[in-house]
Amino acid sequence: MKEKEVEQTLNDIRDMMSKSSRFQSVSGYSIIVVGLLAAVASLITALIIGVENWFPCSEKLQQFMVTDTAARTQSIAMTGLILFALSLLTVFFFANIKSKRHQLRFAFDKRMGQMLLDFFIPLVVGGVLSIVLVMQEHFGLTSSIMLVFYGLALVNCSHYTYPIFRYLGYVELLLGIIDCFTMSHALLFWFLGFSVTHIIFGIVYVLLFDRKAK
Amino acid sequence: MTILEGLNKTFESKIRLGIMSVLVANESADFATLKALLGLTDGNLASHTRSLEEAGYIRCEKKFIGRKPNTTYIITQSGREAFTAHINALENFLRECKS
Repeated sequence: MKEKEVEQTLNDIRDMMSKSSRFQSVSGYSIIVVGLLAAVASLITALIIGVENWFPCSEKLQQFMVTDTAARTQSIAMTGLILFALSLLTVFFFANIKSKRHQLRFAFDKRMGQMLLDFFIPLVVGGVLSIVLVMQEHFGLTSSIMLVFYGLALVNCSHYTYPIFRYLGYVELLLGIIDCFTMSHALLFWFLGFSVTHIIFGIVYVLLFDRKAK
Repeated sequence: MTILEGLNKTFESKIRLGIMSVLVANESADFATLKALLGLTDGNLASHTRSLEEAGYIRCEKKFIGRKPNTTYIITQSGREAFTAHINALENFLRECKS
């Protein structure tokens, strides 16, 4: 009897330590949804790039899009920005639901501020860098820069949450580095990094943390 | 039974143990955070933090953020040692039960 009590006490201590120091509210399902959104964005981008063959629109618009590369660049950039906004909304929306369901803390406090800062500093720097590259028409490295800086952002804030996020960061970094060395496979690597990796990671995350939590 | 030797009387209460767990993991925490995490009332939390303060395991810093008073609790070195010793004692107890 006493033995069980002590075991329970130790478990409670462990729970309290991890509950108070780590963000556990990120939902694995939201990571899968983000991966699917990225897949849709990749598809749209592929259609825009191969506008001559793919884009189902009037001939006049096709002509315009083929000749006007600025319009293409802009529509790809818009797709990216919309994807970014939707992904953030998805993650926060699901996190809110999860934290209510499992009575986790999900409030903006000092720690949350620190985590967001650590996450967004590399991300914003990378974002500005890729926007500048696009504006100067150096398209070649944008996808690897996005992957590398996203990976750095994840590694940088992983100690606030489950350490597994560090490995997601490593995968993104690796893909980004390989992407630097290959020519003309930017969209493929972008798709692998932001869509495939997120979907696989999301499934693993759900199995490890979300299912267990129930 | 000498097994329970090394257990700290101050940590007999679940709430005080909870407060120490949070502070060991986070170094410091403010009153509102502790209250929310442990699900306590103001008075209840205050009395437990006072007893931990008297034991010298935590110290508190009071300041004003704007007009609101803000109390932050910080773990002391002796608090950290006492907590570790307590956990070790619990784990030893379990080990001896199993062997």
